Amino acid sequence: MLAVELAGDAVKARHGSMVAYTGQMTFKKLTGGGDGLRGMVARRLTGEKMTVMEVKGQGTCYFADQATEINLVRLDGRALYVEADNLLCTEASLHTGTSFTGLNGMSSGNGLFTTKVEGHGWAAVTSNGPAVVLRVGKDMPLRVDPGAYVAHTGDLHRSLKSGAGWTTVIGEGGGEAVQIEFTGEGLVYVQPSEKTTLGGDV
Amino acid sequence: MAFTRINGKMVEALVAPGQQLFSQRGAMLAYTGDVRFTPSITGGQGGVMSMIGRRVANEDTPLMTVEGEGRVMFGHGGHHVHVVDLTGDTLFVESDRLLAFDGTLRQSTVFLGSQGGVMGMVRGQVSGQGLFTTRLEGHGSAAVLAHGGVLELPITPGQPVHVDPQAYVGHRGEVRNKLSTAIGWREMIGRGSGEAFQLELSGQGTVYVQASEEKL
Repeated sequence: MLAVELAGDAVKARHGSMVAYTGQMTFKKLTGGGDGLRGMVARRLTGEKMTVMEVKGQGTCYFADQATEINLVRLDGRALYVEADNLLCTEASLHTGTSFTGLNGMSSGNGLFTTKVEGHGWAAVTSNGPAVVLRVGKDMPLRVDPGAYVAHTGDLHRSLKSGAGWTTVIGEGGGEAVQIEFTGEGLVYVQPSEKTTLGGDV
Repeated sequence: MAFTRINGKMVEALVAPGQQLFSQRGAMLAYTGDVRFTPSITGGQGGVMSMIGRRVANEDTPLMTVEGEGRVMFGHGGHHVHVVDLTGDTLFVESDRLLAFDGTLRQSTVFLGSQGGVMGMVRGQVSGQGLFTTRLEGHGSAAVLAHGGVLELPITPGQPVHVDPQAYVGHRGEVRNKLSTAIGWREMIGRGSGEAFQLELSGQGTVYVQASEEKL
C-alpha cells in the first residue's frame, strides 16, 4: 500500500486505485491519460491506454491495487520505462509518454509499446511480489525472463535472446526459451512472479 | 489465548483445557497436541435464536469449535491474516472475513439499517456487506482475513477517514459510518474517476483497510 501526503498539490494515479484517505480530496478523471490531445491519440494508437485520475487536496491518501507490492522510484531527469499496467501513481510533475520497443516487446507480452515516465519526482510501480532491483553495468549484461520484467531506468539497450534449440521445437524445452537481455548502464526491476507471455509459453 | 502471527498469512493459537475457540470450518492448517474440532451447528454463540438470526441475515459462515490442549495453526486461501485484540470494545466485521476468534468474545449479528435507516441499507449494498454484519465484543482476540496487507487507520473526533467500500475490511470502537457520494456531472457522462462512493467513518476508533479492491 502507498501513502501520499498532499498539501494542496496533485498526483496522478490509476483510475479507482484509492483505498482510503483522511482530510479533503477531490478526484478527477483525466481523459486519455493526461498530456493533452497528442498524448491521448498516441496512447489510443499504441494500446498503452491508461485511465488516470488526478487527486488533489490536503491530507493523506492511500493507494493500492490488487494486493500487489509497491516500489517507489525516484526520478531526477532520468527516464523510467514501465508497462502501463504496472504504473500506479506518479507525481504531477512527471510526464508520461509512450515509446516504441519493437519486436522484443511483442514476445515478452508487453506489446510493441511501453510507457515512458520522465521528469523529476516520485513514481510508484506495482509488482506481483516484492521486486528486486538489479544493476546492469558496462561488462555485466543482464538477462531477464520476459514475464518477470517490470520496469527499467537508465541508459539501457534491450534485445531479445533466444535459447531455443531443437529440444524446444519438439516440445521438450526448458521453459526458458526467450529472455530479454539488457546492456548498458542502469537498473532493472524484476518481480518474483511470471505473467503469461508469448515467450514464456515456448 | 491470543493469536501469534507466524507469517503474514498464518496465525497460531494456543488452546488450553476449558477454553474454547471458534474458527471458520476447514481453516485449520496444522496442529500439535490433543485438539478436537467439532462443527458448530449453530454457527457460533448464543444458542438457537442466534443461529436463526444468522441464517436469516446470511451471516452464517460455517464455524467449528476448537477445544483441547495444544497449538493450532490457521490460514485460509492464501489471504493475509490480521489479528485484532479486543479489550472490552467492539469489532464490526463481515462473517466471511472472520477466520477465528476466542470463545470469550460475544458474537452477534447487527442490522445495518439500524444505523442510518435506509441509507444504512444502501451503504451495506454498495460496500458488498449486505444488510447485516457481525459484531464481536468483549475481551479476546480475533483473526480477520484480508486480500493484501491490512492498514490500520485511526479515527479521532474531527478527523474522519474516507475508505473505498471495496477496500473496507472492518472497524472497531465508537464509529459512525455513512456513505458519501462524489457524483457530479462527470459521472453522469461516464467520465468518473472511479471513486464515486466512499465510506466516511467518524468518531473514535480504528478502521481496517486492505491493500486491494477485491472481495474475498
